[in-house]
Amino acid sequence: MKILIVDDDAIVVQSCIRILELEGIKASSAGSVEMGAKLLSAEGASASFDLILTDVKMPGQDGFEMIRQAREIQPAIPIIMMTGYLTTRTMEKGCCYAADNYIAKPFTPDELIDAVRKTTLRQKGETGK
Amino acid sequence: MPFFLEKMHSIRFKLITSLIAVSLFVFLVSILVGGNMMYRSVIDEANNRIRQDLNVARVIYNDRINAIRLALELTASIPEYPETSSSSDTLPATKVIHQLGRRLKLDFVGMTNARGQIIHQYRQDSANTTGILSKNPLVTSVLNNQQPIAGTVVLNKGQLLFENPSLAGRAEIGPKKKSDSKNAEITAMTIGVAVPIFVDETFKGVLYGGFLLNKDTDIVDKIGETVFKNEIYEGRNVGTATIFYNDLRIATSVKNPLGERALGTLSSPEVSRHVLGEGEKWTNRARVLNDWYITAYEPIIDIFGQRVGMLYVGVLEAPYADIRTHAIMIFTSITLAGVLIAIVLGWLFTGRIMQPVTHLIQASVEISNGNLSPDIGPISRDDIGRLQKKFLIMTAALKEKEKRHKVEDETRLLQSEKQASVGKLAAGVAHEINNPLTAVLTFTHLILRRKDLSDEVRSDLEIVKTQTERVRKIVKSLLDFSRQTVIKTESTEINKLIEDSLGLMKNQALIQDINLSFHGADNLPTLTLDQNQFQSVLINMIINALDATPPGGHIDIQTMQVDVNRERGVEITIADTGSGISPDDMGQIFDPFFTTKEVGEGTGLGLAVTVGIIERHGGTIKVQSQMHKGTTFTLWLPCRGRKGSSDSQTDEESSDIEDINS
Ligand SMILES: Nc1ncnc2c1ncn2[C@@H]1O[C@H](COP(=O)(O)OP(=O)(O)O)[C@@H](O)[C@H]1O
Repeated sequence: MKILIVDDDAIVVQSCIRILELEGIKASSAGSVEMGAKLLSAEGASASFDLILTDVKMPGQDGFEMIRQAREIQPAIPIIMMTGYLTTRTMEKGCCYAADNYIAKPFTPDELIDAVRKTTLRQKGETGK
Repeated sequence: MPFFLEKMHSIRFKLITSLIAVSLFVFLVSILVGGNMMYRSVIDEANNRIRQDLNVARVIYNDRINAIRLALELTASIPEYPETSSSSDTLPATKVIHQLGRRLKLDFVGMTNARGQIIHQYRQDSANTTGILSKNPLVTSVLNNQQPIAGTVVLNKGQLLFENPSLAGRAEIGPKKKSDSKNAEITAMTIGVAVPIFVDETFKGVLYGGFLLNKDTDIVDKIGETVFKNEIYEGRNVGTATIFYNDLRIATSVKNPLGERALGTLSSPEVSRHVLGEGEKWTNRARVLNDWYITAYEPIIDIFGQRVGMLYVGVLEAPYADIRTHAIMIFTSITLAGVLIAIVLGWLFTGRIMQPVTHLIQASVEISNGNLSPDIGPISRDDIGRLQKKFLIMTAALKEKEKRHKVEDETRLLQSEKQASVGKLAAGVAHEINNPLTAVLTFTHLILRRKDLSDEVRSDLEIVKTQTERVRKIVKSLLDFSRQTVIKTESTEINKLIEDSLGLMKNQALIQDINLSFHGADNLPTLTLDQNQFQSVLINMIINALDATPPGGHIDIQTMQVDVNRERGVEITIADTGSGISPDDMGQIFDPFFTTKEVGEGTGLGLAVTVGIIERHGGTIKVQSQMHKGTTFTLWLPCRGRKGSSDSQTDEESSDIEDINS
């Protein structure tokens, strides 16, 4: 399992990588939407991701743009949004771009793992059908 | 403005028209009733008069008879008079008879001997009738009874010719309509008298005389003179008199426009049936020539007791009818004058009434345009004055209210500005804090998972962990406060929602030994609100109350239907017996971050968030408190939920702030 983390704040990326590492999940990171899209579209086994974890508010293109582009490249990939705080509006917007789940910052390691597990499980269940 | 004027004028119009209508009605009724009554009494009066007139006419008629009788009786009683039987000695008698004829205007006079043979006759022609047996019924009567006789007598053609050949021509009055009139035997009605002549108590003969009623003008004109004084009304004789032979007019004072006497016509069958047939007096309204007359008839009875004719008098109805017409005209002009006066007075009067009303109308227009000190004109002393005073009180109250509203609005504005700026700041800070906080949380948790930590380090780290959690909570409530969420409303039974919230707090209350009670009113209208948000409002309120209330106290929650400005709604009161809020704090409790609680206990955001939620629902929040006695929060929520206008506004704000915090 490999996860793409998109966030402009390095400490958040680092925290996520550490948490996922402990669970044996590999992760690559991108500091911006452009970078994330590039990584997604790159060829080769090292670039095939099972899940995207993206921040919403980023300088330049935001998390919603990330989702839109990700869907173009890899329509079925599960996406989790990390938001500073969840509002109805972000939820609505996220749903429009078909994020699969969300997690509110700040989160604890358990909360993140939980979100990732649930999202991938749900995804598997749906594709298994 | 024209609209008001129009309306006012129509009130004026209505007032005046009703005034006129009433006076017109009254006048009309009085004209109808009064006019009719007057007419009837006038007609009664006329009928009475005509009956009297008829009596007078009868008297005049009889007077004529009596005058002739008296003269003949006197003449017959002259002592030296005469050797009636001797033909040689007729000269003095002849002289007397001629004188009688001339003086009394008699048409026939004569004398017979005791056998009824003419001794002398007063006649215009030179024929000698001496010795011929008299055919006159008067003479016959006296010969039979030796008694004087006087009265009406009908003579046929033969009898007329015998008395005086010229009479036959005068008597001829044909009923022109009857076809057989020409051949009809000429008969005439006369007034005649015959008296016996006695010499030394022996019956010597008869003296008789009379005159023709046909075409006679004396009697009818005398009646006209005596009874009606020849009164003329608008060119017509007021009174008329007529003598009928049977139903034929033979003498009359009625003249046609040419000045000819209206003779030869017949009375109406109805009149002749009543008067001639039944012998009654008859009074009625009748048309004579071209005018209406009030008429009276009575039968004329001849010397033999036969009804042979009728005596008639009539008065012109016009003078009487004109009395009514005049009266009606006078009534009408009074009415018109009254109506005119009513209009003028009504106009002036309503003007006086309407003037202050106009002022009031203008004043209310000004008020609706925002001028709360309008000129309402001088205060009048009547009921309108009371209205004006009430109006002044009302404007004063309005002014007062406006002032209060202004102050409230200003504070509210200040508050929301404060909230908005604090909210933006909070959102920005929260966003900045969230990322580092994620790292702190992550790594604290990760370190805590390690098995090789000493207990001391672990407990220190636990403190870091819990305090970080606290920071997380603070940031969350900060964001809660700053976040202007779109409320998700659904229809809600408020009592049920409150009971649910109470369920969450019951344990806490039990622990603190505080009596938490709820009294919900029945039949409350359902409210449209965001249940989650409202529940957080309630829970915050209850927590605040629990915090403020010492053990043994109680917290009482009540609901009831209260309509504000005609809008249905529900009022919720949360009353506690706690510490109360000091007047100093009172102004600040709704401010964000204001708290009297110990650090770590309160965030000072609960009430600030509450105000936001309540306002977004279109409701209000009020607080009353007494130090050491308790505090009561009063919430009011409208049934409709929040108003449409605030929708978009809230949305705008929310997008603003979300951009920062996402
Ligand atoms: N029922 C109450 N009785 C007394 N004081 C109250 C009550 N409710 C609120 N307050 C006062 O208002 C302040 C602000 O309350 P709130 O905004 O809810 O924040 P917090 O509860 O976090 O302090 C409280 O600290 C308290 O001083």
